[in-house]
Amino acid sequence: MPETIEIQLKKGVLGLCVLALLARADSYAYEIASRLSDAIDMGEGTIYPLMRRMQTDGLVETYLVESSSGPSRKYYRLSQAGRDALAAQSAEWTHFTRAVDAIVANDSPVAPAPGEAA
Amino acid sequence: MTRAEFLSRLKKGLVGLPLSTASDIVNDYETHFTDGAAAGRTEAEVAAALGDPDRLARELRAEAGAQRWHQEKNPSAAAGAVFAVLGLGAIDILILLPILMGVIGTLFGFAIAVIALFVSGGAIMVAGPFADLPGGAFAAILAGLGLMAGAASAGALLAIVTIWLVNGIVWFARLHYRLLKPALEPQSTQVVGDPA
Repeated sequence: MPETIEIQLKKGVLGLCVLALLARADSYAYEIASRLSDAIDMGEGTIYPLMRRMQTDGLVETYLVESSSGPSRKYYRLSQAGRDALAAQSAEWTHFTRAVDAIVANDSPVAPAPGEAA
Repeated sequence: MTRAEFLSRLKKGLVGLPLSTASDIVNDYETHFTDGAAAGRTEAEVAAALGDPDRLARELRAEAGAQRWHQEKNPSAAAGAVFAVLGLGAIDILILLPILMGVIGTLFGFAIAVIALFVSGGAIMVAGPFADLPGGAFAAILAGLGLMAGAASAGALLAIVTIWLVNGIVWFARLHYRLLKPALEPQSTQVVGDPA
């Protein structure tokens, strides 16, 4: 199945994307979901199980904001553990994508074998 | 699918969760519909983008089961977590099921054996001195105590293995249900059946 790798990739980075969005500004689920569904084409409904899980793991915290129209809105913000997780995961991501890019790109310089004169 | 239809299917799928958790979840999705309407989308569009409510309910139940298991390590929480995970019905979990059943059956058998050993140790300790066993009354009491101590330590070991097993199952399930495949392609199934 050709799309399998894409699904696995999205599955892996979804949490990282949410952490990164929240690092820029506190946000609410609808906003996060629509940003992510535009950007990486995921089902909007999956944001809620994910947010619950991140809350269980202590990566995000919620607070309510009174709204002028309708009921108050639940906002998410990063906890300290969330910030740490973001730093660790984005470093891992950068390292990983660089390594893959270097292999995929044909014009990448091939490291000379040890002992060989460059 | 309309908003009311989506929410009623979601609610149906969440039966069995604590009421406060379930209503919290339903609130989340209600707000999602309200926000979607404010952004100018129809109920059918929002429902299609959200994905299958039955599947979402299964994932949310599995997550709630896992959460409870992390908070309280007791047999009922363990059973809840395992059943919620099985409820996901992911193919590879179903394939694992026979193996899992074997492992759980074995653990259960060991648990019964440990209890039996403990009880018989107690019986030997109490009744031994009067049963005229070889070695005398004192040896019988010691043997009974020894059996009971052995059973207790085997029981503790068994508990550790069981906790480890349930943790493993929960971990395995979490790998799978985050973003299961159909949730990625919400339009393909939802829009077809929509009369509008």
